Amino acid sequence: MPAIRTFSLTKVYEGARAAQDVHALTDLNLEVRPGEIYGYLGPNGSGKTTTIKLILGLIFPTSGHVEVFGSRDIGSVEVKQRVGYLPEGAYYPDFLRGEEILRYYGRLYGLGGRELDRRVGAVMEQVGIAHARKRLLRSYSKGMRQRIGLAQALISDPDILILDEPTTGLDPIARKEIRDILAALRDAGKTLLVSSHELLEVELICDRVGILFEGVLQKQGTLAELLEARDLQVEVDGWKPELAEQLSGKGVVLDDAVGARAKLRMPPGSAVDAAVAVCRDLKLNIIGITPRRETLEELFVRVVKSARQQNPAVAAASGDGAK
Amino acid sequence: MKQIIGWVRGPWAIAVYTYREGIRKRTLIGFLILSLLVIFGSSFISAFLDPTSRTDIELKLIKDICVATISIFGALITVFTSASVVPNEIENKVIYSILTKPIRRWQYLLGKFLGAQLIIIVNLALMGILFFAALYIRQGILPTLLLWALLLTYFEFLILSAFTFAISTAATSPVLPTIGGLFVYITGNLTEYLKDVQNRAGQTGKWLDDMLGRIAGILYDVLPNLQNFSLRNQIVNGMPNDPPTDVMIPNLMAYGLIWAVGGFLLAWLIFWRKEL
Repeated sequence: MPAIRTFSLTKVYEGARAAQDVHALTDLNLEVRPGEIYGYLGPNGSGKTTTIKLILGLIFPTSGHVEVFGSRDIGSVEVKQRVGYLPEGAYYPDFLRGEEILRYYGRLYGLGGRELDRRVGAVMEQVGIAHARKRLLRSYSKGMRQRIGLAQALISDPDILILDEPTTGLDPIARKEIRDILAALRDAGKTLLVSSHELLEVELICDRVGILFEGVLQKQGTLAELLEARDLQVEVDGWKPELAEQLSGKGVVLDDAVGARAKLRMPPGSAVDAAVAVCRDLKLNIIGITPRRETLEELFVRVVKSARQQNPAVAAASGDGAK
Repeated sequence: MKQIIGWVRGPWAIAVYTYREGIRKRTLIGFLILSLLVIFGSSFISAFLDPTSRTDIELKLIKDICVATISIFGALITVFTSASVVPNEIENKVIYSILTKPIRRWQYLLGKFLGAQLIIIVNLALMGILFFAALYIRQGILPTLLLWALLLTYFEFLILSAFTFAISTAATSPVLPTIGGLFVYITGNLTEYLKDVQNRAGQTGKWLDDMLGRIAGILYDVLPNLQNFSLRNQIVNGMPNDPPTDVMIPNLMAYGLIWAVGGFLLAWLIFWRKEL
């Protein structure tokens, strides 16, 4: 049974006139499986946050429905007990200490007494801010505030975590640390739905991704299924700058050259034999051949471009482009 | 029983949090300090009076200033608090991390409403204590009438709070509910005038006169009569330890509670399917 599944989910924000209606989501069929990290990607305004709000019952669908662990009653206490949520850019009150804010959220789950103390200690340890539990939130750095947000989402030990832009605005070290926490949660059997702009982050930790553009899910699958094998990169020795002209005649691109060493990129679809033949022709010694896969960023740009070509009206309206 | 405790635990946690956050709001602290200064300062009013006309007039003046101060600043605190507790959480997105917890929307509203009441009660109590002390020091008699007046004032504020709170659940910023709350407070204290306007309408035969009369009539029927809760005349003119006269305190409390429950239900009706 999927952890989260949407069935032809559609959301239209109605304007004063029909022409002003905003179709935020159209016929969305999303599936997040238990124990995976699902990366939910899309440019600004593509409908990611709308999807999350619909899953959480903060807004209501125009048509279609959502199931969480097979239950359509997503507003029920039973379902909410199993879901943790980290909103994007949420505020946490400065006048409280780290542990106080977690106690507050814990009480909303019906926790109390020793159980609450134990959970507060455990999640602060889990997100790496146990040392700051007595400190006022106003003294927390941005990274620490994001961790307290993550901690409040984890306070009830939920089965599903929904994270809206969990690493936005953080420095590289804090990002890496948050990424490690998310990977550890997945390894502990949690299901994570991560909405993000940070394609590299998503590529590093997600098992499956969905790409949303203008409210339509354009692609969904594992990275292995979605990312195309693109070309071969050959590292060679014996490189001379005068060979550059011959390379371009064969459709080979010079990626990098340092002294006699160079990295060459073969034309898309080239076989290893063809790469070896090119190097022999040019009297270059092969050090290594690496098949190069499409990056998530390249996939994302390809999908968004394709969607725009199929629907030029949408492309003109959106204007801001893919990130 | 266990289920009831479960239902109440969440709202109570929200109420305590709302109270702790609310008492730190600069606007409220400003109103409170100002009101306490006015109440405290009224004791020195004698310096501005003709020495031959002191005693009675002076005491009446002090009482008048203090009653007005508690009424005006208390109403402002009530309106600002009730208008902001929900919209502020929508603005800063805190509401998302609360409503996604196992809390129903009515429980959330109940928590916010109770939190607002805690803030109002504490502020009213602080102003009341100072007024009580000022009167006691002046007259040497325990001003028990003031306690009844404060009780009725709270029930007046309860109605005002419930209405402002209901408007705030339809808003995304505190501005509109603040205006709405002040309108309810002002018109609620002018209901007798509204009745007058209604009675006098139609005498000129002009359509505008007629229409104003009808509007006044509708407002008179719809709005609560907040004048009923005032013991001002008795406090200013009577002995401080007299029992309250001309008012049925239990009836007024019931009247206040009914309006408050109505206001809260209206808030819930607006909020239960609100898109956040």
